[in-house]
Amino acid sequence: MNLVNGKFPIQLSRHQQLGVQSSVLHRRDAIRAGGAGLLGLNLPKILAARDKVKTPLVQRAKRVIFLFQWGGPSHIDMFDMKPNAPEEVRGPLKPIQSVVPGLPICELMPRMSKYMDQVCLIRSVHHTMTNHNSAGYYALSGHEPPSNDQRLRDSLDLYPAYGSVVDYLSPATTGMPTSVSYPYTIRDGSITPGQHASFLGKAHDPFFFENDPNDDAFTLPQLRLPSGLSASRLNRRRFIQQTIDKQTALLESSGAAQGFDLYYDRAIRMLTSDKVRSAFDLTQESESVRESYGRTTYGQSCLLSRRLIESGVKFVTVYFSNSIGGRSIDKGGWDTHGFDDTRMFEIIPKYHLPITEQTLPTLLEDLQQRGLYDDTLVVWMGEFGRTPKINKNVSRDHWPQCYTVLLAGGCVKQGYVYGSSDSHGATPDENPVTPEDLAATIYYALGIDPATEIYTRDDRPLVIGGDPVTEIFA
Amino acid sequence: MWCMSRQFLIFLIAISCCAEAAHAKRPQKQAMVETDSRFAIEVQSVLAKAGCNAGTCHGNFNGKGGFRLSLRGQDPSDDHQWITRDHAGRRINLMDPAESLLLAKPTGRVSHQGGRRFDEDSLEYQILFNWIACGAPAEADEDARLESIDVLPLDVVVRDPADSVNISVLARYSDGSSRDVTSLAVYEPSSLDVEVTADGTVIRKKYGESTVVVRYLQKQVPVRVAFVPRVKGQRRIQYPESANYVDEHVFTKLKELGIKPSSLASDEVFVRRVFLDAIGVLPTADEARAFISNDSPTKRVDLIDTLLSRDEFAEFWALKWSDVLRNEEKVLDVKGVEVYHDWILQSMKENKPIDQFVRELLLGRGSTFENPPANFWRSVRTPIARSETTARLFLGVRLGCAKCHNHPFDRWTQDDYYDWTSFFARIDYEWEEKRRDKFDKNEFVGDQVVKITDEGEVKNARTGVNAQPRFLGLHQFADVKATGTDQRIEELAAWITSADNKFFVKSQVNRIWFHLMGRGLVEPVDDFRLTNPASHPALLNALADRFVSSKFDLRALARDILISNAYQIGSDINETNQNDELNYSRVVMKRYQAEVLLDAQCQTIGRPAKFNGYPEGMRAVQLPGDRKVRRREASPADGDLFLEAFGKPERLLACECERSDETTLNQVFILCADDGMVDRLADPNNLLKQLADSDMSNRAIVDEVFLSALSRFPMDSERGVAVAMLNHAQGKEVDSEYRSVTDQYLDDEVDRWVVLQDIVWALINSKEYVFRH
Repeated sequence: MNLVNGKFPIQLSRHQQLGVQSSVLHRRDAIRAGGAGLLGLNLPKILAARDKVKTPLVQRAKRVIFLFQWGGPSHIDMFDMKPNAPEEVRGPLKPIQSVVPGLPICELMPRMSKYMDQVCLIRSVHHTMTNHNSAGYYALSGHEPPSNDQRLRDSLDLYPAYGSVVDYLSPATTGMPTSVSYPYTIRDGSITPGQHASFLGKAHDPFFFENDPNDDAFTLPQLRLPSGLSASRLNRRRFIQQTIDKQTALLESSGAAQGFDLYYDRAIRMLTSDKVRSAFDLTQESESVRESYGRTTYGQSCLLSRRLIESGVKFVTVYFSNSIGGRSIDKGGWDTHGFDDTRMFEIIPKYHLPITEQTLPTLLEDLQQRGLYDDTLVVWMGEFGRTPKINKNVSRDHWPQCYTVLLAGGCVKQGYVYGSSDSHGATPDENPVTPEDLAATIYYALGIDPATEIYTRDDRPLVIGGDPVTEIFA
Repeated sequence: MWCMSRQFLIFLIAISCCAEAAHAKRPQKQAMVETDSRFAIEVQSVLAKAGCNAGTCHGNFNGKGGFRLSLRGQDPSDDHQWITRDHAGRRINLMDPAESLLLAKPTGRVSHQGGRRFDEDSLEYQILFNWIACGAPAEADEDARLESIDVLPLDVVVRDPADSVNISVLARYSDGSSRDVTSLAVYEPSSLDVEVTADGTVIRKKYGESTVVVRYLQKQVPVRVAFVPRVKGQRRIQYPESANYVDEHVFTKLKELGIKPSSLASDEVFVRRVFLDAIGVLPTADEARAFISNDSPTKRVDLIDTLLSRDEFAEFWALKWSDVLRNEEKVLDVKGVEVYHDWILQSMKENKPIDQFVRELLLGRGSTFENPPANFWRSVRTPIARSETTARLFLGVRLGCAKCHNHPFDRWTQDDYYDWTSFFARIDYEWEEKRRDKFDKNEFVGDQVVKITDEGEVKNARTGVNAQPRFLGLHQFADVKATGTDQRIEELAAWITSADNKFFVKSQVNRIWFHLMGRGLVEPVDDFRLTNPASHPALLNALADRFVSSKFDLRALARDILISNAYQIGSDINETNQNDELNYSRVVMKRYQAEVLLDAQCQTIGRPAKFNGYPEGMRAVQLPGDRKVRRREASPADGDLFLEAFGKPERLLACECERSDETTLNQVFILCADDGMVDRLADPNNLLKQLADSDMSNRAIVDEVFLSALSRFPMDSERGVAVAMLNHAQGKEVDSEYRSVTDQYLDDEVDRWVVLQDIVWALINSKEYVFRH
């Protein structure tokens, strides 16, 4: 068992960065101020966030479920259909009316069409990155990469993931990790940047795992003791460790040492018994609920996302697939070029659309039923759309010039469309929106000022987002 | 009528007619205010004071709300255009100045995302109002320019009960005039320990030392302010005696600040610290025991001399240099990484003078496999990457900001940036383009030849014209022949590594100090900047002089630092030093770096960690590169994963800042329950098993593992608990004092080896083990 892949986000050190200048932070004070339930774990973060967030905004959503559609779903075949365009543009799929008049969607999503009055579409998202990694990083961080590099190299001077920024500026105070992402590290030849905390520091990395929630034996290594290490043995080790730590004043004199010590309590609780374990336990869901989400990795991941936000996680990222896909009818992402005789309109009706059709409406309905809908923001998006003109392989290629992003949750206008594309879905017609603006919109929804600055490793101040699309909020 | 002259008097009451709402509440202030209407001086200072041209507001590259200003007002003529011409000129209203958006927005009369910036009865308002009323003139050629600002005080110690100090700022102009601009200057404190009012009063929030940067238009001056508590007996503080010049500087400052340092570290603390700092290796139990029991009065200096001559010293410094020289496999190839590391290691072993070492790097060319220093240029592929990296590593200057605009916190202009960068334009590579992944342009496989070409220029982004080589900080262009094949780089190497180059000498000294003391005199180490002064400027100079006179001898300088009492200071806290972070009044505490911590654990347990692609037994500090075997080729070994989680840098940034010493919950999981640790502890071939199987007494075993982990004997309570547990495990009698402990914590089946593993786990996880102290 290797635990290193699991990333935990709770920050206690780097006090300078946090604005906690003194290294003398008495443990009892930390506990008192942080509240017993938190064991003081988040205190420095809360103090820091208070100083860092420029002006408090109204918090419209308490949490975000970010469903990342790796590979790039086609806007024209799903949520921005062009029935009046020439055949080589409109494609073989037909629109059907949805519950919202004048908002038709793809005929293969009849169930979703009944939920369109719960979502908001932005049909004018655009950028210039045509490669998966550069566009993927752009979509996952809201910041334009330095170049349109097909193998954009991940490094600490690139921007952090949304969830890491949220953890840095506005951490969860529930005792749960702020940000959780799963069940894949996405890559296209090389790992796509934008999936971790980057220059904000490893302490802000999302809690990440690659285990499959659809696996019957799904559980996390972080929540399980290795063989040969019983709970009582772990407690014995901790007792001896504490005996040694009592001999010096290090715990009194160093905030970093105190923070490190508190992590032991937390780690041991998680390894033995903890509400975190319960949040990840899908067996506590009924069979019917599990079936309703679909017995797929994506379906069960979305179910897990609901459990996680229910227990206090603030930002959940679900990656649809690990690879860009496009060549298989039972796995992979949305990248359907039609290469090697694997045609787009054979793949998406058999794979991507049915999964989406089963899972997305279920998630929305479940959130409604559990009273989570009103203060949750759901974001469904890929790194780009697909070419309006069908290619020689009877499929579509990459199209960042204009595509659609779906938002849902009580904070956004329901059954609303913002921005529009031209008659072929090729360029934004009105109200163009950049990924920077989209990032700003997410932060804005969470009550985080998009003009807040974060600092790179060499202390360069960078603004977290562009201009929020405030018109979409209810 | 007002604008008969450019300087005039106005009556406040006249303005108030335009602002009726504010009228009633207006305090009875001065009846008359003298302002003038010069754009570049008056208007720009208001836009800065109110924060309008800050990077988060309109000074952002993309502006805000459709209104853009140059960052911190560096470009007055551009700003004038934006204010007067853009937005159909609606930002100003010459007929009715009060209706100008430029006034309506910041006063909150019209909704403004940035909120209310000033009131209608403020000086800021008057200045903008007058300027508009005068027709919003642009800067005129005959306008006086700002020449300099005089700031007082520059360095001040404020003793309790005083809790504030006033800064005053005098501006001097090109026409010989001067004026008090205290209320128009911008004040930026470096920490939350102080607060500065708009009119320059620095108020104590916490005792300690802070820097306040005072900015007026394009001039900046740092002010150091120390707030010192009054503590009983402060005058009678005994300071350690000075071992050398280092101590004189450090203790003089502590005296001035009334800070009592911690007492000197005990032998036990010292031996552990100096081993780990100097050579990155934990002392063995025998080494610790020998040092502690040695009663020679010179034993500390003797130990330092021994350590400086050990190979591990060179290995540790090869690691530090490899980090910042970007020695990693993807760009340099596995072979390149190995030859480069060998060359660096050899240079450190033979104590190559640092100026020579740097010169060889800068002059490196030819095959990167045959001539290892050529990897320096191989690792930085564009003129900009080369110029920024060179400035950062060898001059301690972060130039990056000046690429797109004048450096906001320093004196570097965009012209400085591009003129400097033009030195780096004439380097090219010859190589056979073969890649493992044809789409991956960031990877280079095989050998490359670094060559100097006789053409290649860099365009200044501001002027659009080719820049000419000019050294940083010098006004005249360098004397390089445009056609000489490698003239630029040779001139550059000579200039950088000259003993007269203060940037070079100080930055190298500071880096060495940082690695031994845990904090740079200038911090971050590669950020020498007008607005980031050294904590001990005179000490920095003294170290620099010493470095030059010793002919750039790393070991000689390291020795000066290590033998000082300042290095040997302990960690105990008193009333006067508890808030001190800058002055070495107590040890700089930080988590040991990834490689050192892992090597230490492996030594304590007696089993090595595994690193993919390297033979068993190799220490983490000795690893030449980042990662020899890619993730996609094989999943990382336990050692690789440990290093990643504990912050070993990927070596892409050429910055000490890439290495992280933060602590994370994930690290604790690794220490508690990861395979690597679990397996090493339970490995029957480890040292613990030998001890458990030996006929040593439990007491002797406990002493041994404490010495080997913490370089000290156990305290009574520690020994009591550990021996009792071991006794219990062997079915021996347990001291009655510890019976409740064994009853509570030994409820499972255990033997001596199992309990010993638990004791050693606890030692490895103690704060004393993990944190420098």
